[in-house]
Amino acid sequence: MIESQRHYYHLVDPSPWPISGSLGALATTVGGVMYMHPFQGGATLLSLGFIFILYTMFVWWRDVLRESTLEGHHTKVVQLGPRYGSIPFIVSEVMFLFALFWASSHSSLAPTVEIGGIWPPKGIWVLDPREIPFLNTPIPPSSGAAVTWAHHAILAGKEKRAVYALVATVSLALVSTAFQGMEYYQAPSTISDSIYGSTFSLATGFHGFHVIIGTLFSIICGIRQYLGHLTKEHHVGFEAAAWYWHFVDVVRLFLFVSIYWWGGI
Amino acid sequence: MAMAMMRSGIQTALRRGGRNIAPTAPSKRGFASSSSSHHDDAYETAKWEKITYLGIATCTIFAIYTLSKGHPHFDEPPAYSYMHIRNKEFPWGMFCLSLILLINFWALNRVLLFD
Repeated sequence: MIESQRHYYHLVDPSPWPISGSLGALATTVGGVMYMHPFQGGATLLSLGFIFILYTMFVWWRDVLRESTLEGHHTKVVQLGPRYGSIPFIVSEVMFLFALFWASSHSSLAPTVEIGGIWPPKGIWVLDPREIPFLNTPIPPSSGAAVTWAHHAILAGKEKRAVYALVATVSLALVSTAFQGMEYYQAPSTISDSIYGSTFSLATGFHGFHVIIGTLFSIICGIRQYLGHLTKEHHVGFEAAAWYWHFVDVVRLFLFVSIYWWGGI
Repeated sequence: MAMAMMRSGIQTALRRGGRNIAPTAPSKRGFASSSSSHHDDAYETAKWEKITYLGIATCTIFAIYTLSKGHPHFDEPPAYSYMHIRNKEFPWGMFCLSLILLINFWALNRVLLFD
């Protein structure tokens, strides 16, 4: 907290980024709809909106890092805000992925006559769960162990060990994404092959997308740890990344048991 | 004799166990600046580092084993109505492109087979 301030709260300065982010989101959605229907200029508007959102994300988070790390506005009280914000965010992600599991279970528990009354549907070849799917299942939890190592290293004040641990976290995450890509390449069915292909691809694809987001989150934390931004008293951004990463790990376990193993035999 | 030795061994183990538990102070997690919490975190750092290495080693061995087996090949399934559903053109026009290639392939076959 700065000396002249008589309270623990951060009264933020006026910022252009909320409105710029909103305009970017509007351009992205309108451009996306135009792109998917035969309208001219849809791709251009979509690209511009997407670039606008990415730019807003970069400059907004840059400002937050300046306010928290360099200007010291993020007191213990202020840190509660992003902590409490992370919890409903992850809960909403859990609900989102739960809906995908629900869709798969809804279709597999009582297969309709149109798909042969069996699951997987008649004519669908599925991946052997004991091959790459099983190989790819212990990798995210191992990466989760690495992020826990990084957390304890930060708390113990071992800056270099924390960087090494985050390098291990990111490396394992990249390996996991590579195996996911290999699995899709070898997969005998696609997203357009019956309800099995649709539910399988949505659940595994969105999990893969979350792995990529978590990887980017961990990379940012690794860079910040390398630059000395994270201290043992103040590392809320890292904690949010670790929570997110553990959520992604746990979803992978459910994914393997529910979609690959139970849903594939 | 054997029973007596066993009873004595159990009593010794219990006494030793009790002695080990009694003097240990309950672990406290206070503020990060306290020395006991720093010691705990150093211990936990080392522990999770070992767990990570164990995970990496397990995944590596398992990856070598799985990838060395090669990947399976699947037969082409029958053309069921619920398979390979393409109801509309992709935004990037791949459907159109695929259709043109298919027609060309069919025409080429016709030319080669019947002419």
